[in-house]
Amino acid sequence: MSGQSLTGLSPWSRRLVAVGVLAWCLITVFPLYWVVVTAFKTPPGVVGGPTYLPFIDFTPTLQPFIDLYQGIRGEFFHTFLNSTIVGLSAAAIATAIGAMAAYALVRFEFKVRLGAGLVFFLLALGGYLLFNATLGLTRPQALLLAFPIALIAAVVANRLPLSGPILGNEDILFWFVSQRMFPPIVTAFALYLLYSEIGRLGFQLIDSFVGLTLCYVAFSLPIVVWLMRDFFEAIPIEVEEAAMVDNVPSWRIFIGIVVPMSMNGLLATFMITLAFVWNEFLFALFLTNSRWQTLPILVAGQNSQRGDEWWAISAAALVAIVPMMIMAGLLSRMMRSGLLLGAIK
Amino acid sequence: MMRNDPIKHVFIWPAVLVVLAISIFPLIYSLTTSFLSYRLIPPIPPRVVWLGNYATLLQEPRFWSALFTTTLIAFIAVGLQYAIGFGVALALNARVPGERLFRVALLLPMLLAPVAVALVARMIFNPTMGPLNQFLAKFGLANLPFLTNGHWALACIIAVEVWQWTPFIILMMLAGLQTLPEDVYEAAELENASAWQQFWGITFPMMLPISAAVVFIRLIESYKIMDTVFVMTGGGPGVDTETLTLFAYQEGFKKFNLGYTSALSFLFLIAITIIGVTYLALLRPHLEKRR
Repeated sequence: MSGQSLTGLSPWSRRLVAVGVLAWCLITVFPLYWVVVTAFKTPPGVVGGPTYLPFIDFTPTLQPFIDLYQGIRGEFFHTFLNSTIVGLSAAAIATAIGAMAAYALVRFEFKVRLGAGLVFFLLALGGYLLFNATLGLTRPQALLLAFPIALIAAVVANRLPLSGPILGNEDILFWFVSQRMFPPIVTAFALYLLYSEIGRLGFQLIDSFVGLTLCYVAFSLPIVVWLMRDFFEAIPIEVEEAAMVDNVPSWRIFIGIVVPMSMNGLLATFMITLAFVWNEFLFALFLTNSRWQTLPILVAGQNSQRGDEWWAISAAALVAIVPMMIMAGLLSRMMRSGLLLGAIK
Repeated sequence: MMRNDPIKHVFIWPAVLVVLAISIFPLIYSLTTSFLSYRLIPPIPPRVVWLGNYATLLQEPRFWSALFTTTLIAFIAVGLQYAIGFGVALALNARVPGERLFRVALLLPMLLAPVAVALVARMIFNPTMGPLNQFLAKFGLANLPFLTNGHWALACIIAVEVWQWTPFIILMMLAGLQTLPEDVYEAAELENASAWQQFWGITFPMMLPISAAVVFIRLIESYKIMDTVFVMTGGGPGVDTETLTLFAYQEGFKKFNLGYTSALSFLFLIAITIIGVTYLALLRPHLEKRR
């Protein structure tokens, strides 16, 4: 770890730098302070103009939180549970299968023919159009039928000695990560249509735990694979080689050696994914309406429902923010030692 | 060393299947829908119009205005984020007094829910009761139309974006700065290079690859902006702050104009791809020269 001290600068510019950083820090902290303070205000404390210091400017009260808990401004307690359940399960599943995929991409060699990828795409698209137009199936039925056919055909095509370029691990990784580049609205909207048509077949996905979690798992996977790959690459291969000499099967090497060695990385990835799911707005907006509504939706709704009832708005915002503040504290401890460094190269 | 073991399929397939099902699947679905004229309200049976939706969209001023707004927000916000973030990272790396304390506080905003941040911003930007108004009133600038005037609203949204995402740049740049070799600076010190010369001659060029990656990530993410705008202005006043995602949401979820919205989201995808590819193409010569 290097760090040039500020010795090269004159005392005056050193002070200037310190003041600049302090100013940015104040700008960062002030809104947070404001929302915490406002959440404990009574209506007169808000309407009379800005007040800053509890017990001096205004008398703090817990009323906004009591209102929240009692559900006067929407089912907060229930929604909080929803967010927690969906967040924890999506983050756990995504971290687990993403870590497996990342490990596979680091330690095993994959070869995918570009031809097989094309076969998949063309068959999925063509099969879907064909089934929809000729067999008179509904659109989701056609898609659900075309998907496995295309997948099986692609796997078979990959075995055939087709000509054409062969994609390796780097390309597969790029494919995973590039999913993150898509504007989520493309998928959110299509997913909404697809879910609602599947719902008409009798399997409800909109406003359900499975539907929402599945979607979040898919959208966290790119980050998970990307981050975990770097953690796994940092593990010395000698340990695994020693185990292989003893004929330990690969899955036991993974669970018994690799996972414990990269526990820090797994935890950090889990927390980053959790934060992403916890804060996510767009998919929740499209895919839930009442039962599985998450906190961001309810919090966003406070705005239009209650014009200037800032004490309530602040309390609502705090409920959404505080868990992540606690996590930031935990995460920043892990951030020393350039934990995320590998991820950006 | 790469192993070859059939178990690798067990490792990779769950992730591949989920991503295929949840992102490629809907992509095909909405690609085909984008060639249809398909509304739910009022219900009209789908009719194939090929590129009709795309043609209508390209002539729609609201689409261009949304694209322009989004681009403006993304570029200005990311530019400011980069300038402030790099500056703060340099200061923290140089062991500015109180650096430990700053680190936790400076990271916080990026982990908070954008909707909650936007709600707080609405309170702070309130033209009569907000603290910012009180502060500016001391300078004789009372009751500015923060969220009710198009230009001001745009500036406020950019300010919130900068507030929330500068920490990401600080984090990444700080991590990058810590990998720079010390001996180069010692050599520069011997040559009596000023701090300014050291920055432009050593730090900036060596940080260029990381900078390029970080700015790229932020730029792509900024184009997706929706929640902040949704809560702060709802796209208003008028459609002055409407971004692409918000436009698509209005068309799709309020009017249920399915074909049109699908076409819109594909145009969005194309726009992002063009911007991403251009960005990489512009930067490549600089990056390769340094290696």
